[in-house]
Amino acid sequence: MSKYVPKVSELKKEFDEKPSVLKGNYSAQEWWDIPVEFRDGNWCFPGKPEVLEDLGFANPRKWAATDQDWQLPAGWQKTISDGLQSRLKKYRSLKLFLDACVRCGACADKCHFFLGTGDPKNMPVVRAELLRSVYRNDFPLVEKILKGFSGSRKLTEEVIKEWHAYFHQCTECRRCSVFCPFGIDTAEITMMVRELLNLIGVNNNWILAPVSNCNRTGNHLGIEPHTFVQNITSLVDDIEDLTGVTVEPTFNRKGAEVLFITPSGDVFGDPGVYTMMGYLLLFHHIGLDYTISTYASEGGNFGMFTSNDMMKKLNAKMYHEAKRLGVKWILGGECGHMWRVVHQYMNTMNGPADFLEVPVSPMTGTRFNNAAATKMVHIAEFTADLIYHKKLKLDPKRNDHLRTTFHDSCNVARGMGMFEEPRYVLRNVCNSFHEMPEDTIREKTFCCGSGSGLNAEENMELRMRGGFPRANAVRYVKEHNKVDSLVTICAIDRASLPPLMKYWNPGVTVYGLHELVGNALVMQGEKKRTEDLRENPMAGFDDGGDDDEE
Amino acid sequence: MNAHKAKILEQWLKRALELFPEKMDNTTPVAVVFSGALEGIVSGLCNNDNDYRAALDDMTRILAVQSTLPSKALSIFLEPKLILRDMMMKTTVADALMPEEQEAFHSRLDALTLEAFDSYMQHREKIYQLKVEEGRRRMFMALRRAEP
Repeated sequence: MSKYVPKVSELKKEFDEKPSVLKGNYSAQEWWDIPVEFRDGNWCFPGKPEVLEDLGFANPRKWAATDQDWQLPAGWQKTISDGLQSRLKKYRSLKLFLDACVRCGACADKCHFFLGTGDPKNMPVVRAELLRSVYRNDFPLVEKILKGFSGSRKLTEEVIKEWHAYFHQCTECRRCSVFCPFGIDTAEITMMVRELLNLIGVNNNWILAPVSNCNRTGNHLGIEPHTFVQNITSLVDDIEDLTGVTVEPTFNRKGAEVLFITPSGDVFGDPGVYTMMGYLLLFHHIGLDYTISTYASEGGNFGMFTSNDMMKKLNAKMYHEAKRLGVKWILGGECGHMWRVVHQYMNTMNGPADFLEVPVSPMTGTRFNNAAATKMVHIAEFTADLIYHKKLKLDPKRNDHLRTTFHDSCNVARGMGMFEEPRYVLRNVCNSFHEMPEDTIREKTFCCGSGSGLNAEENMELRMRGGFPRANAVRYVKEHNKVDSLVTICAIDRASLPPLMKYWNPGVTVYGLHELVGNALVMQGEKKRTEDLRENPMAGFDDGGDDDEE
Repeated sequence: MNAHKAKILEQWLKRALELFPEKMDNTTPVAVVFSGALEGIVSGLCNNDNDYRAALDDMTRILAVQSTLPSKALSIFLEPKLILRDMMMKTTVADALMPEEQEAFHSRLDALTLEAFDSYMQHREKIYQLKVEEGRRRMFMALRRAEP
């Protein structure tokens, strides 16, 4: 036997001594007595010192969540305490959410992390209680008198570790808030706690490195302008090879009617780039007067997972660029949290964007009054409108090699209430579409398990646990309807669902909605299409040529 | 053996779900998958039909990403021995299984546990494979553009 294999006695020792919620009977203990455990696969690497220095964030140092000593800065308790007080004054929603909960438990089994781990601290009510217990101790006087009875506790280093563990097991998906009779938004509590943790340097590199990149180069991946252009140009070449059509995107062109902004994952990542090819084909098909910015080259906004100020700054860049280029309005690609930021926060953070016009589709004349404040239209809405007005020539048979289902991205579904538009588009570009069970879609959609910056590879086990409820719903349509394609409209989904499917549902592939649009679009002057945008053969379009058969 | 099937299944599911610190309701995805998988496994065990690998995979796929130790996770598959022992202690002589029947059941369980170990390890390896693939995917466009 290998010398590296631990001995049974060592394993036993580890099991006996290491705390774990999965052993021992904790039923008689208070929830806060259950120890926090960091082990490989359940935590994200902390922000690198140079990243923190770039951003001017507190307490840059080398550390790991598994360290005994987290090297918190002197006076960290006061920093957190003052930070909490000032945020309670600034955000009435936070104070309301902390005060209003009656512990009814309606949210308890709605969280995908709870359903995947069975850990009581992943019940949204208990997760919020991690902060609430400290809030009670530090604030209202009556609670001080009733200490113990009221469930309050001191702010210790153990509490910070617990916050770090459990507020990074919340993807800010807000499924719990759908079921809360008071509408308490645990996502906003998570946002606030992460903001507080950043004040003392307790953080996540998978969030902060993209924030720093975006702050410097304009996108999360840190792609510089020339590389950004080269990537899209190489996609243009691929489109030409596949379809015989040359699409001609422009960059940083002043005076274009529309500025198109999408997550940088669509320009650099697999399978996002195929969605990008779909956008480019669509814009060429309708002759849209648009430009792409190499500065506002990111739709996503990891600032949302960092702090309100950072979210504001990264969001502002898109609007500054729209102003600089003199466009009329902004068209936004398939992204998740970009839309939450735009739909829910932009107008009070950076708005109103008076220098832009209320978006009007140049092809259909439809005025998007829902975007009157933000001047930014979601591509699914835009395309659904084009299809409704019969402006697109589509051949859904070109997607007959795919049997699809649709994953509602949390932020677009719950964050902006968009359910029907992507389904309308999907039904028009493919012939096989099957819904997952009712309590796992639309406003009750399950998160991919990796949202809000938890998509780090070192966090894989936790992501698989958190994504299990979603994967289980996909399994249902896989078994009942032979579904093999999971279509989604979020860049994080496109990055995180492929491994989730490979683990739970091998054989299911992840697609962006506009990739399927790109497959189905019949372009003027195109050559005979036999392959989809991934160069996979389409069904019934082989060179033998039986594509005219019904 | 088939006479005891329902009882074993009920007890086994209850004990398997106790692996999770908080009570998992029968409608939760974990309980639904466990229930379906255990039914398949118990049928296989009782009928001496070894076609339970898919059901076993469903169980271990969940277990392999939990933070519990492998030994603890796989102990689930030894539970039926204890369940059967308890049942036999409480049952009438007429209903009791013959010693050789019990012995056969035990050896089938041993084989099942070893197979569960294979399956569990396969899923653990898959996790590491996914980590590697994710790193590679980050270089996707660079590699794609480097192709002739």
